[in-house]
Amino acid sequence: MSDEIILEMKQIEMQFPAVKALDKVDFTLRRGEVHSLLGENGAGKSTLIKCLTGVNHKTGGQIILEGQEISPTNPQHAMELGISTVFQEINLCPNLTVAENIFIGRQPMKHGQINWKEINRRADELMARFHLDIDVTRPLSMFSTAIQQMVSIARAVDVQAKILILDEPTSSLDDNEVKLLFDVMRELKASGMGIIFITHFLDQIYEISDRMTILRNGHLVGAYGINELTKVELVTEMIGKDIDVIFNLKRAEVGEKDPNMLEADHIGVPGKVEDISLDIKKGELLGFAGLLGSGRTETAEMLFGAEKISKGEIRLNGQKVNFRQPHDAIMKKVAFCPEDRKRDGIIGDLSIRENIALAVQARRGFMRPMSRQEQDELADKYIKALGIKTPSAEKKIAELSGGNQQKVILARWMATQPDVLILDEPTRGIDVGAKAEIQRLMLEMCGDGVSVVFISSELDEIIRCSNRIVIMRDGKKVAEVDGATCTQQDILNIIAEGAKAAEEVEA
Amino acid sequence: MKTKKFNWSQITRSKITWAIVAEILILLVCFIIRPDFFSISIQPSTGVLYGSLIDIVNRSAEITIIAMGMTLVIALGGTDLSVGALVAVSGAMALKLMRWDVLEYNTPGDYTVYPFFLVLLLPLVTCTLMGLFNGLLIAKGGMQPFIATLILMVSGRGIAQILTNGKQFTTMYSPFRMIGQGNLGPIPMPIVIMVVICILMGIFVRKTAFGTFVESVGVNRSASRLSGISSDKVILIVYALTGLLAGIAGLIYSSRIMSNDSNNAGINYEMDAILAVVIGGTAMTGGKFSLVGTFVGSLIIRTIVTFVYYFGIVSEATMAFKALIIAVVIVLQSEPVREYFAKRSEARAARKSA
Repeated sequence: MSDEIILEMKQIEMQFPAVKALDKVDFTLRRGEVHSLLGENGAGKSTLIKCLTGVNHKTGGQIILEGQEISPTNPQHAMELGISTVFQEINLCPNLTVAENIFIGRQPMKHGQINWKEINRRADELMARFHLDIDVTRPLSMFSTAIQQMVSIARAVDVQAKILILDEPTSSLDDNEVKLLFDVMRELKASGMGIIFITHFLDQIYEISDRMTILRNGHLVGAYGINELTKVELVTEMIGKDIDVIFNLKRAEVGEKDPNMLEADHIGVPGKVEDISLDIKKGELLGFAGLLGSGRTETAEMLFGAEKISKGEIRLNGQKVNFRQPHDAIMKKVAFCPEDRKRDGIIGDLSIRENIALAVQARRGFMRPMSRQEQDELADKYIKALGIKTPSAEKKIAELSGGNQQKVILARWMATQPDVLILDEPTRGIDVGAKAEIQRLMLEMCGDGVSVVFISSELDEIIRCSNRIVIMRDGKKVAEVDGATCTQQDILNIIAEGAKAAEEVEA
Repeated sequence: MKTKKFNWSQITRSKITWAIVAEILILLVCFIIRPDFFSISIQPSTGVLYGSLIDIVNRSAEITIIAMGMTLVIALGGTDLSVGALVAVSGAMALKLMRWDVLEYNTPGDYTVYPFFLVLLLPLVTCTLMGLFNGLLIAKGGMQPFIATLILMVSGRGIAQILTNGKQFTTMYSPFRMIGQGNLGPIPMPIVIMVVICILMGIFVRKTAFGTFVESVGVNRSASRLSGISSDKVILIVYALTGLLAGIAGLIYSSRIMSNDSNNAGINYEMDAILAVVIGGTAMTGGKFSLVGTFVGSLIIRTIVTFVYYFGIVSEATMAFKALIIAVVIVLQSEPVREYFAKRSEARAARKSA
């Protein structure tokens, strides 16, 4: 890292018709540093990036790139100036080859025709720089999300970027893939590029960043060197509250004698989950741990009727139930908040009100519509109860930030007043403050007698909240551990080694 | 109660506004060229309203009725290409039932072989089932709506031909004539039927939660299913309903000509209905829809056709002329144009308040 400043944003203001999204924010980026941009959802991180990349046009302040004032008019222009962005969602064409994706829009030409040889050769070179040994002539969709992510970074870097912006590039990557990405980032850093890094994972910030800038409610909180703040201080600065207040969570209280709410007896679907048995008591929080693809999502789907079981049986309050579709489960007061919020959760074009009322309405059937007043009351109630940040219940859900969308989906299910609530990765991709709030809500619901199934990849939150934890691996339940006594290391061992480690922990 | 604030920029952003503006503009041109275009009188002999405007509404009935169903189909993110063919099936079936005796006794007259209620009921049931068939292919078979409905679009006319052994029947049965050529008081019957259907549809989608379910499934089928909506059921109902509406349109059409014409009945109706929906502001990608918009859209299409006839534009140029006007209407409704006017009115409002 040198001290040479490559980018300076001074007193940036962004006034939208209703809100001031940025109020006199300063930001500086040095050559060869990784600079984390932090803040809760809605703090103004994205808006700042959008001002820099020309998606939004700042209403005040200056942007100075290498000593020259610039004002990017659109992302294309920003790219020409040397500012490249990789967004959270991969903005590539899955049907084109890797090489085509990298060079789309700027294909090398020869005699007025596209020079395929050159494209593929240069794509190969570029991939080699990223230590990726892949066939660049195959369609992008053949490769994993991580590789696709690398390709979009490669594309961003290849256009002679001086500044690279990575907006939550790691939220869909596993640990090894994150490591690969960080190696690439370090190399780019060494070559003198300034990198702006946005993520919700605090560990990653400390691992890769040199400095950080914190925003809160559109204001600058401060810029710090990475060693100047501890994690706890950092979170406190981000949310503006003392962290203990939020993290002081109490596990649900369940007695031995509490009745079983839901029982699954040797259920399975061929090829997905072989055989799983579990039970949840009334008011209990049962955690599901395991890697992606270990069958935890499929198990949740079986309990909800989204995946039809081909063997075994499910009992609710001691009664055998047969869910053929989600509607059946909802009628029996089972609710399921799916993992992929965008694909399976939100109805983007509909308002917050309609999204919240949807499951209640679906249970009543369309012939018994909720009156507008009922819907308004329901929406207002949950917007207030969950602290959903929106100017109005009539705003489209697609326009909310991820954390707020998640709260709306949660509200949709809370409104059905379920007995069993299954939450699949409810805290993924949302910030620390919202995460803590969702955990608090889950535990509150347990207190009200709801049985909660909580699936998460983040072991610390599972351990913090669960009464018991079911550990899954390769479509099987390998162990069940007590949430109050087990450690992250125990669970990791079990996931890594399977049932043998489980016996040791139990013994 | 919240009171709605009058918001000019919201109005200029709405597609329906621009559809209405377009309709008024076209009518205005008509008025400038021929002031008598707007005259409405009562025909002394029959007591029925008479005039170009009445004619436009009357003649738009079939497309409007079909387009009501098409709106829901498109809101689901689909298309239904088979409606035109179903118009032909419905007409052929009605005529077949009235003229079952055509082989022995081949003079058309004021009679029907099968009871009148069957003449009305069977074609409608058939068309509803054919719509349901479309829905099954799409919901259960997972086919693209375009391909699934193409099957009946192509084969429907063949079925209509088979029903009547490839012959064109005519009838003079007067109750049947009432549907397309009769009147209720001073109002032509097709208008009455159309208005009743529009009102019923409006009630069905907005006074129940069906409209919300359609929008929800249209935007995100997977999320809707996981929220407890039986997406398949919604799809089946919508396509069956559209089949039924096409059947009703088919009865009106064949009653107008008192004959079945399997080759020409309902030709291009699917395109006009889709167009009416799109002009009415419902996006082809599915989601939010507007039945009122569709109604205006259908009127626009018919106004253009009448305009073309009325002003004696050479028949070879009719299609091109129609296309030209529709292109202008669609451009008027496009995102950039609406955005431009909305920005202007916002700026004006800002100046006023400053």
